[in-house]
Amino acid sequence: MNLFASKDNLIRWLDSLLAERIVIAPVRGQEQTVFQPISKVEEIAFDFDNTTLSPKGWFLPPTETLFSVQRDDGRVELVPTLVEQDAVLFGLHPCDAKGIALMDKPFLQDPGDALYRERRTRTALIGLACRQALPECFCTSMGSAPDDPSNVDILLTEVEDGYIVQVVTEKGKALLPQGLVEYKGKVPPPPKPQAVLIKEVISAMGELFNDPYWEQLGDRCLHCNICAYVCPTCYCFDMRDYSDKGKVERVRSWESCQSRGFSLTAGGYDPRTTKGERLRQRFYHKLLYFPEQFQDVACVGCGRCVRDCPVNIDIREVISDLQQVMEAKSGS
Amino acid sequence: MELIQQIRDKARSLLEEGTVEGVIGYERASDGVTARPFFAYKPSVTERLIFDETCAHNLVKYLLDKKGKKMAVVVKPCDSRAINLLLNEGQIERDKVFIIGVGCPGMVETSWNYKSETLQAKCRSCQLSKPLVYDFLAGGELERQAEEETYSDIAQAEAESLATRREFWLEQFSRCIRCYACRQVCPGCYCPVCFAERLEPLWVGIRIAPEENELWQTIRTFHLAGRCIGCNECERVCPVDIPLSLLNRKLEKDVKELFAFQAGLDADEPPPFATFKKEEKLEFGE
Amino acid sequence: MGRESPFIPYLATLKTATQLTPDIKLLSVELEDPDIRARFDYKPGQFALLSAFGEGEAPFGIVSLPLRKDGLEFAVRRIGTVTRALQELEPGDTLGVRGPFGNYFPLGDYQGKNIIIIGGGIGMAPLRPVINRILERRDNYGELLIINGARTPQDLVFQPEFPIWMEAPRTRLELTVDRGDEQWKGRVALVPDVVKELAPSPDNAIAIICGPPIMIRFTLAGLRDLGFKDNQIVTTLEAKMKCGLGKCARCNIGEKYVCQDGPVFTLEQISQFLEQP
Repeated sequence: MNLFASKDNLIRWLDSLLAERIVIAPVRGQEQTVFQPISKVEEIAFDFDNTTLSPKGWFLPPTETLFSVQRDDGRVELVPTLVEQDAVLFGLHPCDAKGIALMDKPFLQDPGDALYRERRTRTALIGLACRQALPECFCTSMGSAPDDPSNVDILLTEVEDGYIVQVVTEKGKALLPQGLVEYKGKVPPPPKPQAVLIKEVISAMGELFNDPYWEQLGDRCLHCNICAYVCPTCYCFDMRDYSDKGKVERVRSWESCQSRGFSLTAGGYDPRTTKGERLRQRFYHKLLYFPEQFQDVACVGCGRCVRDCPVNIDIREVISDLQQVMEAKSGS
Repeated sequence: MELIQQIRDKARSLLEEGTVEGVIGYERASDGVTARPFFAYKPSVTERLIFDETCAHNLVKYLLDKKGKKMAVVVKPCDSRAINLLLNEGQIERDKVFIIGVGCPGMVETSWNYKSETLQAKCRSCQLSKPLVYDFLAGGELERQAEEETYSDIAQAEAESLATRREFWLEQFSRCIRCYACRQVCPGCYCPVCFAERLEPLWVGIRIAPEENELWQTIRTFHLAGRCIGCNECERVCPVDIPLSLLNRKLEKDVKELFAFQAGLDADEPPPFATFKKEEKLEFGE
Repeated sequence: MGRESPFIPYLATLKTATQLTPDIKLLSVELEDPDIRARFDYKPGQFALLSAFGEGEAPFGIVSLPLRKDGLEFAVRRIGTVTRALQELEPGDTLGVRGPFGNYFPLGDYQGKNIIIIGGGIGMAPLRPVINRILERRDNYGELLIINGARTPQDLVFQPEFPIWMEAPRTRLELTVDRGDEQWKGRVALVPDVVKELAPSPDNAIAIICGPPIMIRFTLAGLRDLGFKDNQIVTTLEAKMKCGLGKCARCNIGEKYVCQDGPVFTLEQISQFLEQP
């Protein structure tokens, strides 16, 4: 049964949630919308299309301290970071929610990352269905949809004077305010993102590994970290101790396979020395290795990498290029 | 069209004659609106080359990935300053580069799938009608109606108090995610191991946080003092819109005032930080 | 937080540090918590991540044998910030240990076979517990040939154990260096050349190799020339490893994670990787 919340209902509901939890929501900055903890409901941007960064940063922050090292009279104690509060992640689109569900696979797999798991357990997800598909969106080809409720606790869909409230999980049900009425109106049809044919390509990727296509594509890649950092499912990280004025912390930060020293061993050996090899790693990890391990492709079709790559390395184009390379190979 | 055909014809003949191994130019991006770098290795693909007001990318940086190979590169006037910089610093050899120069009408602000009517700020004050160095000029010179670079926005910022400025910049740097796109796209940033990646000594840690980001950005800016050629690619590629041109132009202004020098105008002019002139008074406290 | 995070190291005390070569030290550490010490079970081939608090962590093969209770031993080569910090620790100092991680040499499968151990430099470290385990149960294995190479005589690793290895029954220890010195009376040759010279038979044999990539490459070729099949050749891969848990994806080589699926692989398995290490 779908419920209905007017804009006022929603604001009051969020106010009450804010009183006892952290609320992370889209906030419009200078020219960008980003997910961040809010102090007032007025800060929320309800009418955004896509944020600069995905909300994965709440569960895997760009930088976080895993534990700190206290030294007391020669005795060493390790103090882990604790998750202090319950939270609500509000306003994420279904593609981003799928991104979080994909990140759960490596992080919760035994031995689970305790900090990630704690935060995940204590954070409820209130999703927002998409009003329109942007030119770079292709979620329906990657196992999601603009109105897909599967990975959130509650899904809101904007209608004329408020929001349809679809309760998905028990956790979501527990968050509902009192007094929401049943929604009897029509559910607006979801927008239609462009389609990308991916199935055949993934099964052929094994044979395309050594194709010169990768070095040619790698020619224009800058090997910055933009694609990996804006992506809802990329999760590679670096760990190092941060030592300042006697305080020592074990810090975890975002890293990406595109940076030069990513696979460089201490002895000086690097299995990926060329630009094409490094670029290829990202595509293979997302489209082949991750599915082999976790039975799901690590791309949700949010289009951020397409939008932000300074040299237009477009994953949809790469997939259709690989299709052609595949056909040319089998033809000859 | 005439200009584009000249670029294509030149690229084709260079490849057919074997004068170069590859041509670095522009082609249409996957959005059908903007441009992206394109590497042509065979004469048959040179038809994909384009040139228009969306071709903002500075392609000169790619020459550093192709050391030892003779390459042709399409170069706008601002990009030619990068050629001079890299020649001056011994990073490229003149006889290993065939420069296809173009007179540039100015580039417009673009983003994915969007092309505006507004000229980029750096183009509004550009007075160069053709590249400073080239082997072939496609399309001929293009007279520019340029505003003068007065650095008025920099002067305005300088008039603010230190506290205001610091607050402004920390806020900007709080958005930085250390993607290093600014560094990767910059022709002046080519250190095999960037200072930000060094552990011994440790200049910047791995933390992605405002104070560390500030350290990253300011040190990079200082490493470019007297070397930044003003292509503004760093600001264009930044995914979180940090106004990097303010930093780089501030030092460009300072270097002009202190040393009467601007980078990339002359491949043979010694850079100020590697030269000493007797006329420079050096008294402590001055 | 309740549940123990796999990112938090166990605290351990450095018991002894022995200089093995000019840049390699053997560290013997004891886990502080007696329960954890009792539960910490490992097999030759597995590795641990050692923390030098203030610098960071790095992976090291565990080179001791669990039942010996001499503590956990690691051979640390001074090459970067973490290894330098570990080498600067004094006995009594605290460090962190996370592990054991990875797979191990299936020594049970090698019983009754002739074993050829080929190590170069620090590569000898993960092979040492294999040798010692075989010597502990000598009758379960066939002939044992150990080829140990290094750049110079000073760089040969585990010199104090050489007499023990040489004395063992049906065991041969062949040393070689790339460059000798005035005192060196032994062989001066590259490891792959020694393999060619000694020409061990592939019949009922397993060859276990570890060393610098270039040594491995040429030794592999030599073993194949001698008739060794790819499933008779075993190695332990080095990779940039950070979390040890299959999460940070740095050790992702092709579809494998060296920290989970390895570091021990047969050549047959490696040749099937999409991406070659």
